[in-house]
Amino acid sequence: MESDDMRDFAAEARRFLDAHVAKAPDRTAFTWGEGDDSMAYFSSLPPAEEREFVQRAREWQRIRHENGFGWITGPVEYGGRGLTPVHDLLYDAVESEYDVADTGVLSVIGLGMIGPTILAHAQPHIKDRWLPAMYRGDAIACQLFSEPGAGSDLASVATRAVREGDDWVLNGQKVWTSVAQHSQIGLALTRTDPDAPKHRGITAFLVPMDTPGVEVRPLRQMTGGADFNEVFLTDVRIPDDHRLGEVDGGWTVALTTLMNERATVGSEGVGPVAAALSPDHLSALMRATWTWDDRALRARLAELLVDVLATEHLNARALRKLRAGVAPGPEMSVSKLMYGQNLTRAAHFVSDVLGPRIIADTGQWGTYAWTELLLATPALRILGGTEEIMKNILAERVLGLPKEPATAAAKEVRS
Amino acid sequence: MTADESELRELRSSVREFLEAKSPEEAVRKLMESEPRFDPAVWSQAADQLRLPGLAIPEEYGGDGFGLVELGVVLEEMGRALFCAPFFATVLLAAQALLASGDQDACARHLPGIAAGRTTAALAVAEDHGSWDPAMVSARAVPDGNGDGDNGWTVSGRKCFVVDGTTADLILVVARTVAGPTLFAVDRDATGLAAEPMQTLDATRAMARLTLDAVPATLVGAQGAGGRIMAKVLDIASVGLAAEQAGGARRCLETSADYARVRHQFGRPIGSFQAVKHKCADMLVQVELAEASSREAARLADEDSPDFPVAAAVAHASCSRAYMVAAMENIQVHGGIGFTWEHPAHLFFRRAKSSQLLFGGPAVYHERLLDRLGI
Repeated sequence: MESDDMRDFAAEARRFLDAHVAKAPDRTAFTWGEGDDSMAYFSSLPPAEEREFVQRAREWQRIRHENGFGWITGPVEYGGRGLTPVHDLLYDAVESEYDVADTGVLSVIGLGMIGPTILAHAQPHIKDRWLPAMYRGDAIACQLFSEPGAGSDLASVATRAVREGDDWVLNGQKVWTSVAQHSQIGLALTRTDPDAPKHRGITAFLVPMDTPGVEVRPLRQMTGGADFNEVFLTDVRIPDDHRLGEVDGGWTVALTTLMNERATVGSEGVGPVAAALSPDHLSALMRATWTWDDRALRARLAELLVDVLATEHLNARALRKLRAGVAPGPEMSVSKLMYGQNLTRAAHFVSDVLGPRIIADTGQWGTYAWTELLLATPALRILGGTEEIMKNILAERVLGLPKEPATAAAKEVRS
Repeated sequence: MTADESELRELRSSVREFLEAKSPEEAVRKLMESEPRFDPAVWSQAADQLRLPGLAIPEEYGGDGFGLVELGVVLEEMGRALFCAPFFATVLLAAQALLASGDQDACARHLPGIAAGRTTAALAVAEDHGSWDPAMVSARAVPDGNGDGDNGWTVSGRKCFVVDGTTADLILVVARTVAGPTLFAVDRDATGLAAEPMQTLDATRAMARLTLDAVPATLVGAQGAGGRIMAKVLDIASVGLAAEQAGGARRCLETSADYARVRHQFGRPIGSFQAVKHKCADMLVQVELAEASSREAARLADEDSPDFPVAAAVAHASCSRAYMVAAMENIQVHGGIGFTWEHPAHLFFRRAKSSQLLFGGPAVYHERLLDRLGI
């Protein structure tokens, strides 16, 4: 049952997409032994290809923006469309049916999380300077939040900011910073009052990444690639008008950012890893390895597919709610949790099917390539809020269970 | 007919209200130790006031012509309340078998009574081994008179695990003829039929052992069509069962969360400890997946989608596991009090295990899923 408003909006999105791009090919249809057998979850590209990838992302965002889909929830004065988050999710779902450039480098952190934070907390001239540029695809933003000593407990950030006249001087180290190497701006959480309770001594700043003293170093993760960064801040001088929110009021700013960290419906499960969860691919793999009649493996495959397909049904129902103009409930958080678990189980299931073929490369198509996914899966249970933090959130927000007394405020951290 | 979202909500709240009034825990406990294992007065009210037995029976046979989506809402509520009634056997097993047989005479004869709540029915397939696979049936049917079946049949054999088998007015039996497994209708008062109750793990769902000794029977559908009929019925019944399981699992989750909020140990509500909190979150994940898979399968059934058989297998497996996990962890969250006879947790535990294994359990439903996926 679609609402008229949503039907009209989806139709408008389709008209725009039909005019600019082709429909996505069926990503699950495949023939064993044909085509690219890459199973990369993280796409570590050579520098030239990576630049081209970012350029394509900027270009597609510009076209979206020119056609009214660049910032669906944003205010009209900053080039937004003034619609609801439900419209935004619906657009994502419609767009996932098309073969468009991957804009994750701009959208996941910058447009999805930092943009709304700037809108809520920055001074007017900062909004004028950066918001249109971001949603036009010109400026990429990163999140200078996590530190070696501040992971799930984000409020324990130790990067210092000290006031000097009209400026602040920042010193410290950030880690796991996605897209920092491509970013023009970063949103930094800093410690401004080390003596206050940890949530009350934090201040947020918008840091132009070309400021002297900002150094971005690639962080090599366990897959061997480097998809994240460390960002070192050494005597970085930031004018006070780049402060977001009040002095020592940075925790409120951080919560705005984290509240906007949302799962997307319909866009997960695309790309090479979709194959990892497709019944056709997994059964072809079992035939190719002569394991299709192994009873123990069949039972595990069935258990895995039950979860994979039930998760798909959960997504399908969330999407149908969206089309009816209703915001989904806990489905999105459950789906995120299951996505990480399903991929992890798939990687280990496939490893057991492949046996020695995943510990050394025999050259056989579609076998050793699974090491890429296998080595990526631990990240899926950590990034964007660990599994443990996600469960706290489900239990507290959906089931209404009480917070832990000693850390009541810290529980608000991840959303 | 199809109900929209607000009609489904209305249906859910009227069924819930009815069951809260007519099937509170005290009533369930009383009925599970009585014969029959249901209250005929409440059953009549469910039929007369809410028209529940006829909800998904086609209008031409006296029902309201809704589908599995609407039936699913009712079953979720019945599962929540552990409602003791001949609903599952009559509406999900027997009525669906009649419809799947395509035998219009048999449907016209029996469905109006079922829709009105006057006739209760059972489906007897499994034998001593407990398998619902018609190929495993050894009960035999032989034609009377000249042997063409026109003068009726007699059925002989033993049936087990027959839900509501001692009380059903009409018993549909799968028996073997020369053409293969075939569906027959047997009257409860037929000569040669003996039904005795089986002791059951879950006392809220009655089961019987039937002994048939040359019992007069009427052919339903074509000779040898039992396999095709049962494939259809098991898909629909397992989605109906899945809805019941999802409802029961949701109830266990709610009970656990309620208790974890108020029960204090070490000076804190136990729900503030992550070990308990994460357990409840795990239950929530299971329940959300269960609801989504059973509701989605029901929707696909009503749309006659080619994806339905896979979805039915997913719903059956996902809801079976979810309910078992929720029922087990519900006891764990409650601790000692959850292990007492007086606490309702064991009623859900019993129902969860019994539902999981009714149609064969993981060994059967996992292979069925792979089979449906062509693996």
